[in-house]
Amino acid sequence: MLVQVPGGWNPLLGRLAIDQIPYTNPILAPLFVAVVIGGIILLGLITYYQKWGYLWKEWLTTVDHKKLGVMYIILGLVMLFRGFIDGLMIRTQQVWANGPQSSGVFGAVHGYLTPFHFGQVYSAHGLIMILLAATPLLVGFMNIIVPLQVGARDMAYPYLNALGLWITAAAVALIMISLFVGDFAHNGWFGYAPIFELQYSPGVGVDYWIWTLELTALGTTLGGINLIATIVKMRAPGMTWFRLPIFTWASLSANIIALTSFPALQVALFLVACDRYFGSHFFTAGFGGNLMLYTNLFWLWGHPEVYFVILPAFGMMSEIFPAFSEKPLFGYITMVAASFAIAGVSWLVWLHHFFTMGAGPEVNSFFSVATMLVGIPTGVKVFNWAFTMYRGRITYTAAMLWAIGALFLLLVGGLTGMMLAIPAINYMVHNSVFVIAHFHSMLLVIVYAIFGSVLFWFPKVFGFKLDEFWAKTMFWLFSAGTVLVFVPMYMLGFMGQTRRLDYVFNTAWHPYLVTEEIGIAVYCLSVAAFFVLLYVSIRDRVKNRVGQDAWGTSRSLEWLTHSPVPFYNFAVTPHVNARDELAWRRHNGINEAQPTQYVDIHMPNNTGVAIYIGALTFVLGFALTWRVWWLCLLSLVAIIVLMIVRSWRGDPGYIITAAELEKMEREAMQRQQQVEGHLPHHGGHAVPSGAMAYEGQKVSPLGTPPSSGDHH
Amino acid sequence: MFKKQAKRLALWGGGTLAAVWAGLANAGIFWIFDPKGTMADTNLHYMIIDVVIMGAIVGITALLVIWFMWKYSKGKNRGKYDAHWSHSNTLEVLVWGIPIIAVGFLAYFAVKGTFEINPYNPTVITKHMAPKGDPVHVDVIATDWQWLFIYPQYHMAVANELVLPVHTPVFFRLTSTAVTSGFFIPQLVGMIDVMPGMRTKNALESDRIGVYQGIASDYAGAGTSWMTFPTKMVSKEDFQNWVSKVQTSPKTMTYASFNRFAEPYINVNHRVVYFSNVESGIFDHLMMEVMHGKTWPLPPAMTENMVAYMQKQAAEHRD
Repeated sequence: MLVQVPGGWNPLLGRLAIDQIPYTNPILAPLFVAVVIGGIILLGLITYYQKWGYLWKEWLTTVDHKKLGVMYIILGLVMLFRGFIDGLMIRTQQVWANGPQSSGVFGAVHGYLTPFHFGQVYSAHGLIMILLAATPLLVGFMNIIVPLQVGARDMAYPYLNALGLWITAAAVALIMISLFVGDFAHNGWFGYAPIFELQYSPGVGVDYWIWTLELTALGTTLGGINLIATIVKMRAPGMTWFRLPIFTWASLSANIIALTSFPALQVALFLVACDRYFGSHFFTAGFGGNLMLYTNLFWLWGHPEVYFVILPAFGMMSEIFPAFSEKPLFGYITMVAASFAIAGVSWLVWLHHFFTMGAGPEVNSFFSVATMLVGIPTGVKVFNWAFTMYRGRITYTAAMLWAIGALFLLLVGGLTGMMLAIPAINYMVHNSVFVIAHFHSMLLVIVYAIFGSVLFWFPKVFGFKLDEFWAKTMFWLFSAGTVLVFVPMYMLGFMGQTRRLDYVFNTAWHPYLVTEEIGIAVYCLSVAAFFVLLYVSIRDRVKNRVGQDAWGTSRSLEWLTHSPVPFYNFAVTPHVNARDELAWRRHNGINEAQPTQYVDIHMPNNTGVAIYIGALTFVLGFALTWRVWWLCLLSLVAIIVLMIVRSWRGDPGYIITAAELEKMEREAMQRQQQVEGHLPHHGGHAVPSGAMAYEGQKVSPLGTPPSSGDHH
Repeated sequence: MFKKQAKRLALWGGGTLAAVWAGLANAGIFWIFDPKGTMADTNLHYMIIDVVIMGAIVGITALLVIWFMWKYSKGKNRGKYDAHWSHSNTLEVLVWGIPIIAVGFLAYFAVKGTFEINPYNPTVITKHMAPKGDPVHVDVIATDWQWLFIYPQYHMAVANELVLPVHTPVFFRLTSTAVTSGFFIPQLVGMIDVMPGMRTKNALESDRIGVYQGIASDYAGAGTSWMTFPTKMVSKEDFQNWVSKVQTSPKTMTYASFNRFAEPYINVNHRVVYFSNVESGIFDHLMMEVMHGKTWPLPPAMTENMVAYMQKQAAEHRD
């Protein structure tokens, strides 16, 4: 039943052999040495400072949505850096391998990468940037912010949340290990049929690609279920649907897409795996296989995925614009409608990724018009952000600069997207670098929104602001890099340069390729500025500490609790009276009202099961890639046993008593007093009748910490 | 001071780059803006319509945003601040109305254009075809990694070079041996996928003599970057002369020799080969065989560490 693979195979190690380790490769071998040395230093430092216990108890086994979110974001940032290095390698190869006279090193005819190695680099770049950088970064933000915005103590399923993270981490580990053990796929991030079939990709690269995608799809689906359940079932009292903060709405629409579309990807890849492992013919050219079926199935997920990553980014922008315009979001209802319109239309447009397949004009016309429909709600969003600034009082913080940058990139991406939606134009620029420049404009909208959000929500999570000067330096360098890389890329598209060329035949394109390389150098400077930003901000963390409302103009519920957010989020669940709850409370002078009494709260326990299962899914993926069947079986059985054992035992959780809570709250308020210089007090404005600050507690002026009620 | 210098530097740098770019643009390297055939002309026509409409909307929006950014900047007191204003029925109608009208307008052109240059029946060519236009038919086969152009009317084939007469409709049938690729001549005709076991079509017509670059527009494996081919549009007389020349080529092609030709080969040196007396029906024979499961497997040497293979091929070329 199993297919014969070229090269050796043995029952113990599968396809693993010493010659699969590229120790002769002049690029990978030194990198491997550097990684090993870096790893030893890191582990040594953790041991020296005796941080293993802390790491295990506070991070690796945590089910706290904020810590999981932070780890998602760190994972995403690390992969963003890896993806950037891949991008740098792609650009360097193209500027070097330009024209028949260009030199070649390391065995390449031109440039420094052989065709197959180049193929792996851009395939990894695409897969990493979309699924292992943008997705974890956005999931991380949704993890941190959504429960706070709906006034919940944690996600609906804290353990599932940890499981999602560690399965995503397993996917990251799998793609990283493909650098040093075997190859990665060369078939582009989305995969081409039938080039990923065994006849045309006999190595393990495609198998790494399949299992990395499967694991990240699984992790993201679990996260999607959790976020939807949290938003639907965990809202604080008074948080009606149309009081929901806009980022939460965006997260809901995005996760509905994730939950419904990721299974399509998982099935498509499972069929590819059947072809490669069992010799079936789903996507082969012959024996009744249909290679374009794969392309359809992939983009049936792939296009909704695009909106899965852009909708939360739109949500982030919709939070940043009002906060720094000191005004509510313009057209909240239509913004919600627009998010769901985009989510809905996302299902009807997948074929625009391959208008050139040769479908009839009727089919192409349908998908063309459907694609253009996306422009309507997206246009509405842009106008709504503009009118949010209208009659506002705009402060140009670094976060606001990133959001405005995202808006302008969206205009560029929208203009070029409307060009690509028309088949008569698309035929000329499909698969050209024009398309690359277009979707990088769109994905950079996400990156800009993410960096804006890092700056915006950082004080909430860590209790201090990031340095504005370095944040702005980074913004301007990054934007200069964006212009220098992508303006010439758009132009090269009009010159006819197609994508994925490891040798660029036309020397007339050289000045533009050089400009792109300069842009990459400027991007490198912005990466350096980011590290300086982190260093300076952490150095000055005491000076930059903030209170609950870090910006003084924040609007939604997450700014109502302490910064940094305590592990239980809200000591007493707040009662929601209005759409922008904090802005409403500030307006009515009760933004610093504290609860009058505390009650016991129930919290979930930490668990190591999630990280064990994550590690086992990595082992399973690795064993499947190398066809080590006994290890596949072992890890699969172990995963199932762990799941059953965990379900059997469940989690009774633990109780924080009202007294403990009061003590922690008192300390938190003292810290806040140090920052803000006064005790929380009642503003003295007239409070509307019926207003409720906390669940079951009428608004009352407070100068002294509250008593803890009858729980002594 | 530093800021001023940086500004000047940016201006000068930007200006120089713009000048370099503008200079090169005059040389006609913007192939998409410099079409040389009916199909490409039509593509550009629709691009202009779209960019004018969308450019106007996007441009005005950008200016509006910049104006708001300037006017409502905090502490400048240029505009009135209204802490609660967040809704206006008039504006809602406008923000939904403008995109809806624009999309409706563009949708009309999108559908019209899709039919005009439908690769299977491009009405921009077929509608104006003379009853006895004598079109040229070309069967295009993409291999790993070369192009074979079979001229069934003349029983001849050419590898890696396409020669066509002007003022003549040309109809292509396209397929591939092993994997998917794309057929693209930026100044003449847009992209169309070339797939194993499947047949796509395309067409072109040009009245402008010249040499235009052909490209494999989709990734087909290691040799894709070298799958380029010159497309020569020549006068009808020159075309006839060229056909006579190819028809005297000593190399011939049967389905068996085609199979050898289709072995994986990276065309680093851009060799062009002429074949005369080409067996008829190679295209259909190939399609049938691929559908029945024929493949051209790649050895691991051509997909893992390409170094050894590239050296071997380079050595063969020196002979």
